[in-house]
Amino acid sequence: MLQEAQSVASGISGADIATAAKYIAAGICMGIGAIGPAIGEGIAAAHALDGMARQPEMQGALLRTMVLGQAITESTGIYSLLIAIVLLFVV
Amino acid sequence: MHEIFSQLAGLLAHLGEKPILVIPVLGAEIRVDWMTILMSWIVMALIVVVAVLLRRGLRQPVEEKPNRVQATLDALIDLLHSQLSANFSSEDLARKMFPFVSTLFLYVLVSNWLGVVPYLDSPTRDLNVTLGLALLVLFLSHTLAVRRKGIKRYLRGFIEPYPFMLPMNLVGEVAKPLSHSFRLFGNISAGGILVTVVFVKFAPIIVPPILNLVFGLFFGAIQAFVFAILAVAYINVAVES
Repeated sequence: MLQEAQSVASGISGADIATAAKYIAAGICMGIGAIGPAIGEGIAAAHALDGMARQPEMQGALLRTMVLGQAITESTGIYSLLIAIVLLFVV
Repeated sequence: MHEIFSQLAGLLAHLGEKPILVIPVLGAEIRVDWMTILMSWIVMALIVVVAVLLRRGLRQPVEEKPNRVQATLDALIDLLHSQLSANFSSEDLARKMFPFVSTLFLYVLVSNWLGVVPYLDSPTRDLNVTLGLALLVLFLSHTLAVRRKGIKRYLRGFIEPYPFMLPMNLVGEVAKPLSHSFRLFGNISAGGILVTVVFVKFAPIIVPPILNLVFGLFFGAIQAFVFAILAVAYINVAVES
């Protein structure tokens, strides 16, 4: 049993482990990094909809402000995406 | 089916690569991504040619009824005007800045949409382009702020509300162009990568055009609008406060 594991392990080089770690890190980075922006954008959209339902004549201004706020909220998600891209293609 | 996938696999192997041209200058090297420069000039040429062509039909007396081209352009300019320059604090500033902001919008929009065409890359898929545009907005906003408020009031703006907030304000100023450019670059390049991966690995037929529609055209338009409106917001904040 131990010998078997050792023979398998000797076939795995350090580069293989680094590659595996790279992919796992990119996945974790994107998965956790997408939680925050998703919740934030959802909150922004929900409150904008509340406002639109209450005052339909304000729809244009509310939509514009909502899109702007969501774009700013999104930037943390974009940062994690950039790090994931760097992990996948550059490192 | 398997043959199609194996033929496409070459696309994925070169996904992160860029065509780099190395120019040796006095022992140092200048590294240039010629694809981005070429595409940038194509975008500019496209905008100029379309503008000249559309302008041609408009030479007519003012009192005549507007023709179809003029009516369409009027509606488009009106839309841009109401969406973008309505956010400026003063009418004077809006009139002055509208050409710059709408040009920024048009350039980013055409760049994003050109990425949908096969074999053409969006210039906005390169971080250098978006960072350049963001720095342009940064320098413009600060120059305008100095000119409008005077150098003394401009410098005092950095130590408000308290002097010990100076580092915070400086970091905030540096973070502006970074987030501004990373947002556009991240959205556009991620869309391109996603479409390529789906095209090569999962579904080479039917699905890629739909994804291109969503990521290229829809998100491209939204990101162009967001980029322009953030430029408006940054200029406004710098001039106003």
